[in-house]
Amino acid sequence: MSHRLVAALTALVIALALWAVMPVRVSGQAFWPKSTPKIPMAPTWVRQKAQLPPFTPPRLADGHPNLQGAWDGAGGDGAADIEDHEWLDATTPSQETFISDPADGKVPYTPWAMAKHLEIRKGLGRGWPGEQGERTHGATRSLCLNTVPRINVDGGQEIIQRPGQVIIISSDVGNFHRIIPTDGRPHIGPNARFWFGNSRGRWEGDTLVVEITNLNGRGWFDTAGNFYTENTKMTERWRLVDPNIIDYSVTIEDPTIYTRPWTMNFPKRREGTDNRRLRAAAFAAVSAEERRASGYVENTAPARPREPNPYAKEVWEEPCFEGNHENTITQHESGFKWYSGVTPPK
Amino acid sequence: MKRYLAGFVLGLASILALAPITGVGQTATPAAYTPPRTPDGQPDLQGVWQVMNTAAEDLEAHNGRLGVPAGQGVVEGGVIPYRPEALAKRKENFEKRATADPENGCLLPGVPRITYTPGPFQIVQQADRVTILYEYRNAIRYLYMNGNPHPKGPIDWWMGDSRARWEGNTLVVDVVHFNDQTWFDRAGNFHSEDLHVVERYTPLSPYHMQYEATIEDPKTFTRPWKISMPLYRRQEKDVEVLEYACPAYLLEREWANPTSTYFQPWDF
Repeated sequence: MSHRLVAALTALVIALALWAVMPVRVSGQAFWPKSTPKIPMAPTWVRQKAQLPPFTPPRLADGHPNLQGAWDGAGGDGAADIEDHEWLDATTPSQETFISDPADGKVPYTPWAMAKHLEIRKGLGRGWPGEQGERTHGATRSLCLNTVPRINVDGGQEIIQRPGQVIIISSDVGNFHRIIPTDGRPHIGPNARFWFGNSRGRWEGDTLVVEITNLNGRGWFDTAGNFYTENTKMTERWRLVDPNIIDYSVTIEDPTIYTRPWTMNFPKRREGTDNRRLRAAAFAAVSAEERRASGYVENTAPARPREPNPYAKEVWEEPCFEGNHENTITQHESGFKWYSGVTPPK
Repeated sequence: MKRYLAGFVLGLASILALAPITGVGQTATPAAYTPPRTPDGQPDLQGVWQVMNTAAEDLEAHNGRLGVPAGQGVVEGGVIPYRPEALAKRKENFEKRATADPENGCLLPGVPRITYTPGPFQIVQQADRVTILYEYRNAIRYLYMNGNPHPKGPIDWWMGDSRARWEGNTLVVDVVHFNDQTWFDRAGNFHSEDLHVVERYTPLSPYHMQYEATIEDPKTFTRPWKISMPLYRRQEKDVEVLEYACPAYLLEREWANPTSTYFQPWDF
């Protein structure tokens, strides 16, 4: 493949995430016609997991649960808006909130932070209700800058456990790896600030608990301007509740912008199990006419014969940043500003 | 005659007896060290490693410059065997390095440059795969040992396609399918898309291993050549691979610069 073609293909992948700038014509499964049933997220998952029978996870030699393997993201539209929202366009279906607590599924901003959020939101240039036609802040994700916990929502991950460490590698959205010490060491010094923060893990029974501090406060939870700050602490919980499901939650604490701690909760399913079925079912639920009317381009090429592919389980290079220069130019020319975080009042 | 024959046999015998000793002396790596094994029986190279040299600045020996320490070079034989036209290109690259080095654009640095790009990396081994997690740009390399050959090309990947095997305790990695957009260092040393790299990671003690990369690219070089350097296991208590989010730092700087030339189409 020529570099231009690679760049073009990568740009197409990025375009799926770059909703803010241009209408996107897509083919394939990341396409959601308007009548797609609402994508289930936290409320449905909280109900479902309450019905699950007790589960004893398989264990590694060190006695800790074996979380190793390849896991999907949250499915749906990734995180266009972590709160409940209606259908916006072919990339953004109607979807339940990611927030399991508080019960209303909303981020419990302080009044100051809510005003800030609405200010960001009206300038997204995305088509959300309440926008005023300005283009102020694009999401960092469309510049190929990854953040936590968004990376757990967005795409596939592989978990590898080693004595004193849990390693989480995300390789289908550019490069991203977290090497989480579980040996009781303290967090790094307070002046060091990272896009990924600084993670420290521990096992509480069968749950891997990861505290994230030292965040640089420059990321969002989604593309809709739901934000955190340098003061934010995130506590993730990873627990196997089924051979093929990790119950993932992350509790967000930051008294400078939230009135109370709040929690996102969704299942991460083992790769090749449920998410693909879910997408296929949602896709099949609408007529071909409606798909075409919504801009979907049917693939009319004859189906290729399915041969066993020895490389199917390999992860191949899909650089995000390298192919994204043209999109970056578009974002810049469209007037989007660099988001360098917010400074809450003392 | 018999005495001469006896003398010849004796001489031959002493040459044969001496040969293995000479052979040991010629081997670059002493065979004395036996590394620990992973649970599946492979030499265990896992941990956090880093080079300690100036290869990132210039693979060849170089004098000091403002902000650049002098260095003895890591090229065996001292000089990279460029073809004449490629040597001219290297000179041009060096002169334009402040803007032309792809590292300035925070692009993935390719192989072997990623190995001596400043910052540590962690090696993680599984039965059929070695994964290297680099601090620089959060880059990841998968070195497959699953029996698959290189996929059919042409493919132009930034980090190439890596297939690994064990030769004794040495991890040997064959890397092809590169693009021609990466350099080897900040001094303009470069290659074409025909680059073929063979890396060798040989553990020498609990604390260090030898890293070698043989570089072959007939479009650019008159013959294969080799770089060689030790990798050191980081000894600091609680050492961890942190984050060097190069694209984020770059975009933040350029976004704030009203006269930035970054937001113009690239010429490749």
